[in-house]
Amino acid sequence: MRRRCLALLAALVVAQADPALAYLKFGVTVGGRQVTLKWSQTPVRYFVTNVGVPGVTADDFQAAVGRAFATWHAVATASISYQLAGATNAVPGRDDGLSTLGFLSRPDLDRVLASTSFLVDASTGALLESDIFFNSAMPWSVSPGGDASRFDVESIALHEIGHFSGLGHSALGETELRAGGGRVVLSSEAVMFPIAFTPGSTAGRRLKADDIAGISDLYPADGDASTLGTLSGRVTKNGSGVFGAHVVAFDPATGSLVANFTLNANGQFSIGGLSPGPRIVRVEPLDDADIDSFFDPERQIDLDFRVAFADRVVIVPRGGDSGEIAIAIVAK
Amino acid sequence: MLCVALSARDARAQPAGAAPGRLEVSGGGSWIGRTSIGAADANETTPSNGSLRLFTTSSDLAAAPALDVRIGVRLLRTIAVVAEAGYSRPDLRVAVSGDTENGAPVTAVEKIQQYTIGAGVVWYVPAVRSARLAPFVEGGGGYLRQLHERALLVQAGRYYDIGGGVTYLLSTRTGWMKATGVRVDARAVVRIDGVAFTSGSHTAPSVGASFFARF
Repeated sequence: MRRRCLALLAALVVAQADPALAYLKFGVTVGGRQVTLKWSQTPVRYFVTNVGVPGVTADDFQAAVGRAFATWHAVATASISYQLAGATNAVPGRDDGLSTLGFLSRPDLDRVLASTSFLVDASTGALLESDIFFNSAMPWSVSPGGDASRFDVESIALHEIGHFSGLGHSALGETELRAGGGRVVLSSEAVMFPIAFTPGSTAGRRLKADDIAGISDLYPADGDASTLGTLSGRVTKNGSGVFGAHVVAFDPATGSLVANFTLNANGQFSIGGLSPGPRIVRVEPLDDADIDSFFDPERQIDLDFRVAFADRVVIVPRGGDSGEIAIAIVAK
Repeated sequence: MLCVALSARDARAQPAGAAPGRLEVSGGGSWIGRTSIGAADANETTPSNGSLRLFTTSSDLAAAPALDVRIGVRLLRTIAVVAEAGYSRPDLRVAVSGDTENGAPVTAVEKIQQYTIGAGVVWYVPAVRSARLAPFVEGGGGYLRQLHERALLVQAGRYYDIGGGVTYLLSTRTGWMKATGVRVDARAVVRIDGVAFTSGSHTAPSVGASFFARF
């Protein structure tokens, strides 16, 4: 028995009770238990469309997508790899057993640049297929320096391939509301931030520490389980656990930011795939993106608290856990 | 100071410098000053590949007392080689400020255990030596081992120091212990690697005092 689910819907499954599952990963319920959605065999084979759109030929598209796959593949601390299986005239979104990347015209989705979907064996939770569609109703570019009026294929592909690999969204970004609705991104420090940079930007072509930690946690390279560490703890308000607080770990030695959420009612969180060393921990409300980009909208997310820092330097050990740190937050 | 006054009479008859081959053992304490170990901003990338600062940090190893032991051997009347070890527990302090969403400034703290083991050379300045007082210049270096709380992580590096001071004989004897005295010094301690958030060297002042016995 097979079933299909869109990436954005699958992302909602991640609000699990087990905080040891770091990062927002996709998951499915099989036999009453949560199974993390990930590829069981690598290299993951993918096909690319042989149809272009204005401004982007099929060859351009294949090259840009290939660079984005290569960027993920180059993460030294992760084991996932990908292989181009060939060009195809199949369109993404069909349950044909082929993981396909290509264009679809969806003018009705006027705020969706691209989306990733999965085909999952519901009896085992095995990932069978993942397709990425790029909305050809949007203007696209593969210009090396970006095109001010078009979205960068490579940047958007890099984000979607993160989903394709099993990663959910990251909330490491700052936005402001736009007058006509929606949000404009002021900054982000994760390719997996759910809102794209403005047209013309190529800043999303490079993975950030948060992306690298996430893919390394999902597909640890041989031996890295003993070299990378985890930071965990609990966020409370008035003595009670806080669900959905955004917890950011800052490395003063490298300047890197890696984040996750408190993922249960006890306010517990865990951030894995971290290089050993001291961290500064910051807790903030999820106020820079739509909550349903991360969580089931039926879940109650506490947004009424002030930004706070842990009052101690937290140590990420090599191959171990920091031990639970406690951070108390107060209402605005 | 009381010890110096009581024993000064015994010391007058002997030169402050020791004969080659003499062993000197000392133990005491020192104060190691604050060391800045880096400042870093938490930045996010803007669409134009610029930076937006979320908050800023400034880090240091706070001043802390230390325990020191040394064993030295006189090679010449004016030259000694020493092996030394030290222990201290400085605070790692990271001051966080300037949060873009008005998070209250905080100084995050963690206790470090710091061990050093090394060697050095001491040159006793002959021109200004008196019967009890022996000024010296010293330099050395060695291994630095810093443990974070609960020994969750060990960070290693090396250190170098250079400075000077004086030894002051309190007493001289004719038995197996030839003399006792006090030693005060001031040094610049340069740490490389270990707990630091920027590469390169980090320097702290240090002043110390110890008792020594000469055999």
